[in-house]
Amino acid sequence: MSLVDILGNALGLGPLGPLEDLLLSFVGAAFVGTFILLNTAVAGPWAKRKITAAFTDRVAVNRVGPFGLLIIIADAVRMLSKELIIPDGVDRPAFDLAPLVLVASALLGFAVIPMGNGIQLADPEVGLAFLFAVASIASVSLVMAGYASNNKYSMLGGLRAVAQNVAYEIPLVITAMSVVLFAGTLQTSGIVSAQAAPLVTIAGVSIPSWYAFVNPFAFVLFIAANMAEVGRNPFDVPEAPTEIVAGYQTEYSSVYFVLMYLGEFIHIFLGGAILATVFLGGPAGPVLPGIVWFTIKIWAFFLFTQWARSALPRVRIDQLIEIGWKGLLELSFVNLILTAVIVGVIV
Amino acid sequence: MSLEAPEPSTHADVGVTEEGLDYDALESLLGDAVIGRETHVNAEAFVVRPDRVANALSVLKEEAGFDHCSCVTAQQYEDRYESIYHLKKYDDPTQEVGVVVPTSVSKPASQSGESVYRTADWHEREAYDLVGIDYDDHPDLRRILLPETWQGHPLGLNYDQEQHQVVPLTEHANPLQEDHQEGADTMFLNVGPHHPATHGVLHLKTTLDGEQVADVESDIGYLHRCEEQICQQGTYRHQIMPYPDRWDYISAGLLNEWAYARAAEDLADLDVPEYAQIIRTMSAELCRIASHLLAVGTFAIDVYGDFSAIFMYAFRDREVVQNILEDLTGQRMMFNYFRLGGVAWDLPEPREEFFEKTRDFLDELPTRLEEYHNLISSNEVLQLRCVDTGIIEPEVAKDYGCTGPVARGSGVDYDLRRDDPYGYYDQLDWDVITEGGCDNYSRVLVRLREVEESAKIIEQCINLLEEWPEDEREIQSNVPRTLKPDADTEIYRAVEGAKGELGIYIRSDGTDTPARFKIRSPCFSNLQALPEMAQGEYVPDLVAALGSLDIVLGEVDR
Repeated sequence: MSLVDILGNALGLGPLGPLEDLLLSFVGAAFVGTFILLNTAVAGPWAKRKITAAFTDRVAVNRVGPFGLLIIIADAVRMLSKELIIPDGVDRPAFDLAPLVLVASALLGFAVIPMGNGIQLADPEVGLAFLFAVASIASVSLVMAGYASNNKYSMLGGLRAVAQNVAYEIPLVITAMSVVLFAGTLQTSGIVSAQAAPLVTIAGVSIPSWYAFVNPFAFVLFIAANMAEVGRNPFDVPEAPTEIVAGYQTEYSSVYFVLMYLGEFIHIFLGGAILATVFLGGPAGPVLPGIVWFTIKIWAFFLFTQWARSALPRVRIDQLIEIGWKGLLELSFVNLILTAVIVGVIV
Repeated sequence: MSLEAPEPSTHADVGVTEEGLDYDALESLLGDAVIGRETHVNAEAFVVRPDRVANALSVLKEEAGFDHCSCVTAQQYEDRYESIYHLKKYDDPTQEVGVVVPTSVSKPASQSGESVYRTADWHEREAYDLVGIDYDDHPDLRRILLPETWQGHPLGLNYDQEQHQVVPLTEHANPLQEDHQEGADTMFLNVGPHHPATHGVLHLKTTLDGEQVADVESDIGYLHRCEEQICQQGTYRHQIMPYPDRWDYISAGLLNEWAYARAAEDLADLDVPEYAQIIRTMSAELCRIASHLLAVGTFAIDVYGDFSAIFMYAFRDREVVQNILEDLTGQRMMFNYFRLGGVAWDLPEPREEFFEKTRDFLDELPTRLEEYHNLISSNEVLQLRCVDTGIIEPEVAKDYGCTGPVARGSGVDYDLRRDDPYGYYDQLDWDVITEGGCDNYSRVLVRLREVEESAKIIEQCINLLEEWPEDEREIQSNVPRTLKPDADTEIYRAVEGAKGELGIYIRSDGTDTPARFKIRSPCFSNLQALPEMAQGEYVPDLVAALGSLDIVLGEVDR
């Protein structure tokens, strides 16, 4: 049952006409969007400060409100009230569109993610393909931002972003393919339900057949490619402060900067959501409701990216490309072929 | 002189005798280039004809083994301009010689030494900029510290301090214009003056070929604060000492103060009580630890690219050192603790507490360093980034006058604390650290390992201080209220600062202020070698190389 039907039932509307269906879809989208933005825009930046501080032996925000929570409001007011500076010679439509495309592409991905308790906006049969397709639109926005900014650092950042995304998109998709071989479907809900069966039962505790347990090799590959895809350390070369200042977002200020920044956050969470769906059983988990487990899982991935950020140096652009083309790509194909053989022979 | 690589000389140490340098042998080696002799406090100096400079320097370098052009001092007298090349040997820096090149006031031009020592390039540019001497055959004689549009030479005798510096708008019409080079397949990129990785205000004019550095040129001087001139206006006894803290302002203050103290004490022939020497040694090494920790932390930022754990850890540990130094000197950065002939005051009371605090830090240090090694030196991603990048070969490093961890990271075994002993270093048990990798990684490793050595020194100093009899704690020798060293005595003395050889040249004119005060900054020479390290590397390695040089712009620009 999709989110729209649930909403319809809750409102007692009975069978839905096309107009009602459309309206409820908007309501559902608003709900999902708000949920994601609460996580990424409101809790995310605050949590990032606190988490990084914990890793680096600091305290971080603690003066504004309890645990510094009200800093979120202060930050929002500060960011939104700053002057929007648009440099001379920028390519206007592209410069303006880039932040929107970045945020939109990331948010759109959540439409097909099953978040538990029936919260899933749409469940197309090509769900996973849709997910990757939408997520990779982000690279377009990064190129737009980099190229339109009329700044050399931005351009270097944009070019790096493309090189990186091209190099890591393929291993990412190929690794996800191996899961599809197991699950036999591209539908996200199908992939999640395929992971529900118990794998082994040890002393009464049954371990579900999450693909992270079934194929840990693919899981590790996927995490590595995913880190590069969302552009986090040690693969944050498109931004690379200290090298190219801020990469593609060097010239963005005020609201545009907020959107860029937000888009990146949503992308990290989308990366976490894909990881949870494909490898960690989606919203599955004991005792707590599905949506809570889902939230925990995406936050776990976020935590992981912050850990890497504090502990790992950034690789160089040429090394990054080398790791992508010469390492992950080969390994992901090996993984795919092995999986295909195993699935073909055993299952 | 010929440009071909010279044959390895069979007598590369002409003039070396058991009792020290035989300057007569050196003089006869130079032949008719020499027109006179001067005696400086640190060494003899030959007065050389202005048209034979390169020849004389080359002979001294190739045949007498003076491979280290430590500094070039320029100054104006009433009747002449003078450039002094302070030469040393990397093998034994106590073997020094000066090459004095006088030129006329009407046409101050002498031959450039750049063809012999690459390091002379920037030094001569500075001499041209501030004093106004022209160097013939210099490849690129432009202003270096002051803006291109500056009128006059501020350290010249007839410079008008009141003169307005008028810069017409046309000078700054469109600084981006020359940016667009038609048909070029390289890209010009301004790294700095405002850039996250320049450690201050440094401007790197970078030419990129794709992501690789085709050429890089440092544009310095943004932080020029006339430190030399300030010192020339201060009295020896008290007014100069606060300023060294502000050269290398990143917690290396006491090391800088020691550079001035050593030069001035030798100039005025002042003694320093042994007890004060131990305090100096201990506190200077504390500064070195603080400085090296910061260098490692900021280098980590340059490579990690984000506020990483290691950066904050470095600051956390540096904080402890700062607290100890605050207890000792009353200040956290601008110490002003050394005095000519000793130090300002004794250790803080109760002494036991100070010793305990310092010992606690030293006891904790190995664990901390272990953590650094885990995060930095044994981190494979960092090794991937830093090993074999930013290479500078030992011979090139020497040619550029590199000193300190930069030289020692290239395997040049050169440390003034051991090679030209001062303070209490020669009584203590410690080692000079060298690494042979010549790369970014080696330079960082040298700093990390030097922290251990500094800790060893501090420990021994503390033991000595603790057992020192109470009635013999003499912190200052008897120094005249007004110091007036004899007229026309000249000295060039260096100490091992945090970044390398920090030298001071002072010429007295019989008054209570120096007639010429010249600072030889290690960062200035080290930074000059950046293109050698960065050319052909990727942009990230340019940034890493800059970080591994550990420059402080306050010291580069003075």
